[in-house]
Amino acid sequence: MSQAFSDLAPRLWGFFTSIRLTVVLLLALALVAVVGTIVPQGEPAANYLARFGPDSGALLVRLGFTNLYGSPWFLLPVGLLTLNLLACLTRGLPQAIRRVAQPLSWETARNLPERGRFYLPADQDPQNLVCQVLRREVGRPRSVSPESGKIVFFLERGRFRPLGPYLIHLSLLLILAGGLVGKFWGQEGRLLLHEGETAGSFVLQGDRTKPLDFQVRLDDFRVDYYQQGIPAEFRSDLTFFRNGREVAKAVCRVNEPVTFGGLTFYQSSYGARPNGPVKLKVCQGEDCHQVEAPMRQALTLPGGQAQMMAVRLDGNLMGTGPAVMVAYKSGPGHPLVFWVSKDHPELAENPDTPFYQPGPQRLTLESLPFQYFSVFQVRRDPGVWWVYSGFLLCLPGFILAFLLPAQRWAVTLSQKPDGRWEGRLLGASPRAREDFAIKTDRVLMRLKQKL
Amino acid sequence: MISSIIGLVTLAYLFAGIFFVGAALWNSARLKSWARLLLFGGLAAHLGAFLARWVESYGVAAQHAAPQSFGDAVRLAVLQVPMSNFYESLVFFSLCLPLLGLLTFRRHLHGFLGSLVALFAALLLAYASLGVDSSIKPLMPALKSNWLLIHVLTAFLGYAAFALAFGAALIYLWQSRPGPAASKGAAAAAFREMDRLIYQAVVLGFIFLTLGILTGAVWADQAWGRYWSWDPKETWSLITWFVYAGLLHARLVKGWAGRRIAWIAVLGFMAVLFTYFGVSFLLSGLHSYLT
Ligand code: HEM
Repeated sequence: MSQAFSDLAPRLWGFFTSIRLTVVLLLALALVAVVGTIVPQGEPAANYLARFGPDSGALLVRLGFTNLYGSPWFLLPVGLLTLNLLACLTRGLPQAIRRVAQPLSWETARNLPERGRFYLPADQDPQNLVCQVLRREVGRPRSVSPESGKIVFFLERGRFRPLGPYLIHLSLLLILAGGLVGKFWGQEGRLLLHEGETAGSFVLQGDRTKPLDFQVRLDDFRVDYYQQGIPAEFRSDLTFFRNGREVAKAVCRVNEPVTFGGLTFYQSSYGARPNGPVKLKVCQGEDCHQVEAPMRQALTLPGGQAQMMAVRLDGNLMGTGPAVMVAYKSGPGHPLVFWVSKDHPELAENPDTPFYQPGPQRLTLESLPFQYFSVFQVRRDPGVWWVYSGFLLCLPGFILAFLLPAQRWAVTLSQKPDGRWEGRLLGASPRAREDFAIKTDRVLMRLKQKL
Repeated sequence: MISSIIGLVTLAYLFAGIFFVGAALWNSARLKSWARLLLFGGLAAHLGAFLARWVESYGVAAQHAAPQSFGDAVRLAVLQVPMSNFYESLVFFSLCLPLLGLLTFRRHLHGFLGSLVALFAALLLAYASLGVDSSIKPLMPALKSNWLLIHVLTAFLGYAAFALAFGAALIYLWQSRPGPAASKGAAAAAFREMDRLIYQAVVLGFIFLTLGILTGAVWADQAWGRYWSWDPKETWSLITWFVYAGLLHARLVKGWAGRRIAWIAVLGFMAVLFTYFGVSFLLSGLHSYLT
């Protein structure tokens, strides 16, 4: 039993520290993500049955493909990746710290791999030359002279480089942890408020109602448009109450969320609903009638040949003011669909607009009482700070890992019996060999040419 | 005016591309300097057109709501950076290619690599001019954020660096194809150099792509209350990121080099292209430029 365990432990350790596991997991996650972009996520089951057919649709739902990022297909590889990262960190970080804590010593420097030799005449001051070349090409060297006639110059660049990858991996762990914290301790839901309405709760995902420990009222909602009829701004004016007393007012816009009582409110969508009868005037030539059109109910117009239905209402359609969408049918054939504007009845004659009414009857609005509602995304996510600290931590990680390559340099000089100096250029840069080779060639050339 | 400058820039890049190939085939210094002149001249005009469009779209926005103070004006200028629709993003992407090439691989920006860069930039611009709506539209509410500039800037610099790596990888794969000429003396030195370029461009691209993803997450957190929504564009940028993370580990930890790394760089750029074009055309989501 304990024998089997002592066998198992190193094997598990080997499994979790292998970079091959990393590659397999990243591939698996990529595959999951591909499926996730092909199968739309998080829609009601009926949508899948309609789109993919009853059999395949039901299979997709049952396999969890419609909620991939909450299913084992995704959580298992992410969990393994977390263990993988943790294991690699446990294995490598102490070593990296030890290495960083130990600056380059001349004894170590003397044993770096040799990159080339050069010779200097006895009458030249070798110290000065080597110092100058190194200083110009690499950085200021230190030097020691362990015995007379021997000098070692050495220096180190990118000493903290070995920490870089671990900072990056640590930041990934922080981000993953933040995701988990958000998933388990966060709350996410929606709040729909009509103008003037006060709410004391919001709706969590899965339709559960969650009470608030305060109240929030939508005082006003507005959409502004550019001249071209493109929305410029959605704006909700909110008032917050505690125990019936007003405590704060705030404006919520897209890109400008509002935080109150630990919850953040994001402007997410909006709409308008009628709060009274829609009254239209239907004219054929001089012959006009008033009709009252309840929403989404078919109505036979006076004269008996035509039918209409008010389908939708918009509080400010493309910047032209309130309008109602009407389906209109006279005689056989498909119904026509057009908008009727309250403030700009003349648009009905313009064939280039969605307001165009080909006739024979002309519809105009008498009254269109309505009220806006605004929909907010409501969230509390204690994991965000973990995620953000992961973001911040990975920046120095990138700088260390990629922009400051570790290089160790040394030049040893030893005087020959005839007084000449023999120089050896030594050095190593394990993660950037090609660049380092180019650099050593240049330094060696300068040393040989005596600048 | 701006669109005719863009037309001329397209031609300049096209001829620069052709001349670079000619210069490499016939070893002609004269053609090479012509090609460089065209590329850099094109780049200068391209930059000018970009700035002119920035000024113009600032003007359009200022007409709607005139800035009240200097701070307002600066904020409006940042918001109106011309990177907010498909056309503008194509123009900016093609601007990044020669610009980044010039800033990072100046010494190598000639021959086949110079030609690929110039031709790819020309192709993007031609597509932008001929196939995409170029009118200046005011900003939708979701795009009115200071994060737009830094997010799009880093993302497209990343794409451009990956495009450079892709070009270098294509050249590497071609030059090092199995055959009698490969791996001998000067040729071997030349494609060791190409191998180094691939790696350096990938590192650069990886840093920029990471910054692009992070700034995008911060922005999404502000605008929609979620730093990650598994929207197709986000998901595909993550897939792309995985591919390049794999490349870097293979190279740094496993010591891979040469053709295997070049193939991964090609694969990675396919993922980039899908993230940029495929997602916009084939899948719908928050990032769709086309609606
Ligand atoms: C996907 C995001 C990842 C990024 C951006 C990343 C980044 C890096 C970087 C920059 C290096 C430096 C290579 C070097 O040592 O020169 C590295 C090394 C390494 N990575 Fe990752 N990594 C990621 C994921 C992982 C994961 C999930 C593992 C899981 C085990 C892992 C394991 C390693 C190992 C073992 C090394 C070698 C470290 C060493 O030098 O001793 N990486 N990584």
